[in-house]
Formats: sequence, C-alpha cells, structure tokens
Amino acid sequence: MAAADSPSAALRRDLCSRGIRLAGKMRADVVDLLDAYVEQQGLDASASVAAVEGVPLAAVERWDEQTGTQRLLENLAAYRAFRALLAQMLEEQREQLGEADAGLGRALAAVLLQVSAFAYHLEELLRLESRGIPGAEEDGPPPPPRLSLFEQKLRGLGVLRELAQWAVRSVRDLRQLAKPGPATGAAPGLAESP
Amino acid sequence: DSHIQYERVGADVTMKCGSMDWDAAVTWTANGTDIDESHLNGSYLILKNVDLSQSGQYSCYEGSSWHLKYQTSLRVGTPPKEPLLMCRSNNYPKGFYCSWHLPTPTYIPNSFNISVIHGTKDMVCEKDTIPKNRCHIRYLQLFSTVKYKVTLTVTNALGKNFTTLTFDEFAIVKPDPPESVVAKPVPNNPRRLEVSWQNPSSWPDPESFPLKFFLRYRPLILDQWQHVELSDGTSHTITDAYAGKEYIIQVAAKDNDIGTWSDWSVAVHATPWTEEPKHLTTEAQITETTSASTSSFMAPPTTKICDKGAVVGSGAMAVCWTAGLVVAAYSVLFI
Repeated sequence: MAAADSPSAALRRDLCSRGIRLAGKMRADVVDLLDAYVEQQGLDASASVAAVEGVPLAAVERWDEQTGTQRLLENLAAYRAFRALLAQMLEEQREQLGEADAGLGRALAAVLLQVSAFAYHLEELLRLESRGIPGAEEDGPPPPPRLSLFEQKLRGLGVLRELAQWAVRSVRDLRQLAKPGPATGAAPGLAESP
Repeated sequence: DSHIQYERVGADVTMKCGSMDWDAAVTWTANGTDIDESHLNGSYLILKNVDLSQSGQYSCYEGSSWHLKYQTSLRVGTPPKEPLLMCRSNNYPKGFYCSWHLPTPTYIPNSFNISVIHGTKDMVCEKDTIPKNRCHIRYLQLFSTVKYKVTLTVTNALGKNFTTLTFDEFAIVKPDPPESVVAKPVPNNPRRLEVSWQNPSSWPDPESFPLKFFLRYRPLILDQWQHVELSDGTSHTITDAYAGKEYIIQVAAKDNDIGTWSDWSVAVHATPWTEEPKHLTTEAQITETTSASTSSFMAPPTTKICDKGAVVGSGAMAVCWTAGLVVAAYSVLFI
C-alpha cells in the first residue's frame, strides 16, 4: 500500500481521473456532433463506412494484455491523428459551406479543441512516468488525394465514428492506468523504465 | 423395417404396406388399434387432412398370416416459422451470447445453425449444453466500429427458415440485474431506509468497467415510483419515505459508458423504523372517559396521528387539528 500512497501514484490517479472526465465529456460531444453531421450532410446514419486511410482504428485485440505505456502511446498517436483530421474537416466544411453552416463548424471546432486538450493530457501522463514523448510528425501524414464532396462526407462520418469509439476506449484505458499496478510494472499497470 | 415419416398438418397422407400389392388383403393399426377399412384404398392407408392427434405408430399386417409387413412412425407437424433471436453481452468485455426460440412449436424435431460474422471474419459461436438454444462468443476485438452479423437458420423435415441480427459491440451490452438487494430501516429515523446491493456476479470486472445504478421505490399503497440514479457505490439511503408505510424497492444496473439498463432486480420490501406507541388509545376508552365527565373537557392523550413524523407530508397539521376537533365534539356530546 505504500506505493499506492506515494505522491506520484496519487498524481497519476488524479491525472487519470481528470482524463476520464475529459474523455467522457468529449465522447458526449462527439456523439452529438455525429448526429448533427449525419443530418446536415444528408447521410444515412446506418451507412457502413470502409476503414479510411489515416483514421486510427479504436479496435484492438487483447486489450486487457496491454501495458500502461502501450495504452498511453496508442492513445496519443490516435488523438494526434484526429487533431489533424478534424482540422482538415473544419477546413473542408468552411470551403463547402462558408458561413452557411456555422453551427456545425463551431461544434467541430469545439471537439477539435477537446481532442487537442486530451492529447496534451496524455503527454502529461507520459511525462509523469518519465516516458519520452514521441515527436509529432512535423508535416503529418502525406496529404490525401483530393476527394469528391461525397467522399469527404463519408470520410468525415468515419472519422467521427472512430473518434467516438476512441473516447470510450480512452476512458477504459485510463481506468486501467489508474489501478495500482504490480511492482514489476507488467500489464495492466504502467511498465517500469528499463 | 421401421420408418419415420413427417407430414404437414392438413396434408393428405398415403401409406403403402411395404412391398405388398395394391390388392393384397391387409390390416392397418394405429398405435395398436385396428383402423377401419373405410380409410383403405386397396392395401393403401389414406389419411386426409391430418392433424396432430394422428401422430403415432402405424403398422400393416398381411391379412391371413398377420405377419408385420410395414411399420412407420407418423409425425405430424409444421415447417418452422421465422425464429426469434436475441444477442446480449452481460459479461462485457469478455463476450456475448445469442439465444433463440421459435414463436410457435413445430411438433417435430428442429435443428438450429448459427453463423456470426464480424466484418469479413467468421466467428465460432460455442453452443451451450444448458440451455441448448443458446451459444456464446468471446470477443476477439474490443472497441470495433464494425458490426456483427448473426444469422440463425432453423431446419426440420418439413422446411426451413432464418433470421438475421446486425448490431455493434456497444449496443448489446446489458448487465444482469444487481444481486443481494437488501433494504433496512434506520433506527430512530422514521423516514429513512438503507438500501444496499451487489454487482451482478456475471459482470467480470466492475473495477475497470464500473456499473451505474438506478433505484426505484414506492410505498405499496401508491402506484407512482420515485427514482434515483447513482453513478457509483452500491448503497443508498432513502430519506423521504412515508413513516410507517411498507415500501417496495428495486435496483437496475448499466455499464457506466455503453449499452442499456438491466432488468429490475428482485423486489425487496421494507418499512421505516417507527417508535413504539407509549399509550394505547382506543375509541372505547375515549368514549368511556368522556362519558364519565360531566363538567369538564378532557384533553385527549397524545395519539400517534398527531405525531409529526407519522403523517403524510404537509397534511400533518391538518390531521392533528381534525383529530382535536373530533375528540372535542365527542366531549361536548357527553357533557
């Protein structure tokens, strides 16, 4: 129990709790945004969208066997990718509609802000564990080929759906991280430094 | 040589006596009872518009020797209607199960085949031995946006039918109801009830996948429920119970983030704590007391209905005042 009461353990739990609240709020907003997006873009909510290149998939095998570090790194990579994707969606939205659909644009911007905040929060958690933070790719992924308007809309649907899944996964990941881990740092807690 | 023969309800059935010629003299029996010759066409047995009661063992005997020439078990039934299928995860994130049944019986044996596809991947649904119309699947992936497609086909000797269910991982998550619900009065608190419960034992990891709860309660004498949603903990104190009234209480559970609410738990009953009455006052005693008095009004002893905690909400004062008036009226009558 001594380890569980240490300042860093308490700080980790605190950061995880705040992260869980952030992710929970983000998910609620993404779900609302998804509904608005489907309606405004004239899409079918039940349409299947094939996996889009560059959109990080939340689906994971053997989730329960992941180490804490794996969880943080995968989460961080995902939210950095979503930050770029949402920024692109916002840009496309402005090009398509200008000011005609300011509500959707504002909602997209709000979610983008939360995604950025969450990515920063994950970096804080990694710093806490003295983990090096992987450098963000300066230029991001190569710019995708120009898509038709309909393809843009479908990709947007795929991005938001996957982001909603990630928000749930992040809550679960942070709960695992918040658990007092074993001394050896094997899964599910955070692994010790080598 | 025994056979089994399946026929639809309402069908016309013709049974041949094995290799016997049409004009051979035979006797048919149904479950050991001779069948009247009016049902015979030569040596063929004709059953028109068969119904369920005609299922049984049919035997054909050669006329003179009574040698058994043919025997068949006739099973009258129906082809299957579209089966009812449901899938649910009550043990998330381990997996889910699907169960099925037919809306109406077919009266003949049926076989069921279930296929589960996740994207392009075929998954194996392992059949349970008990109950036998159920199978379960372990999740290989979590947090997938790809839907699951489950197809159940039911086949019997008279036909087949199928149904398909498509869903995503989160939508079918529904825990079992909370267990061990207990409700107790709180000593010296006439308006409180302490309720506690446990996570359903089928939920594998409540620490990582916490449940939230919904409590409902009402006095037995009223129809309207009070509701409380609780985001953590497995206990709650009701503080607005009506004193002295028996309550019925139930709890439901839901994963904190996904899925739907469980069914309601088994109902428990409890009555809040009440003070032991100090004096027992009956109408006869009031009448005897007041009839003996000729010149003075005797104030009634303290009765329970004037006790502040013992009455319904804002009607407390009104009840006390009314009780005083009634007793005063009695007193006036007998002065």
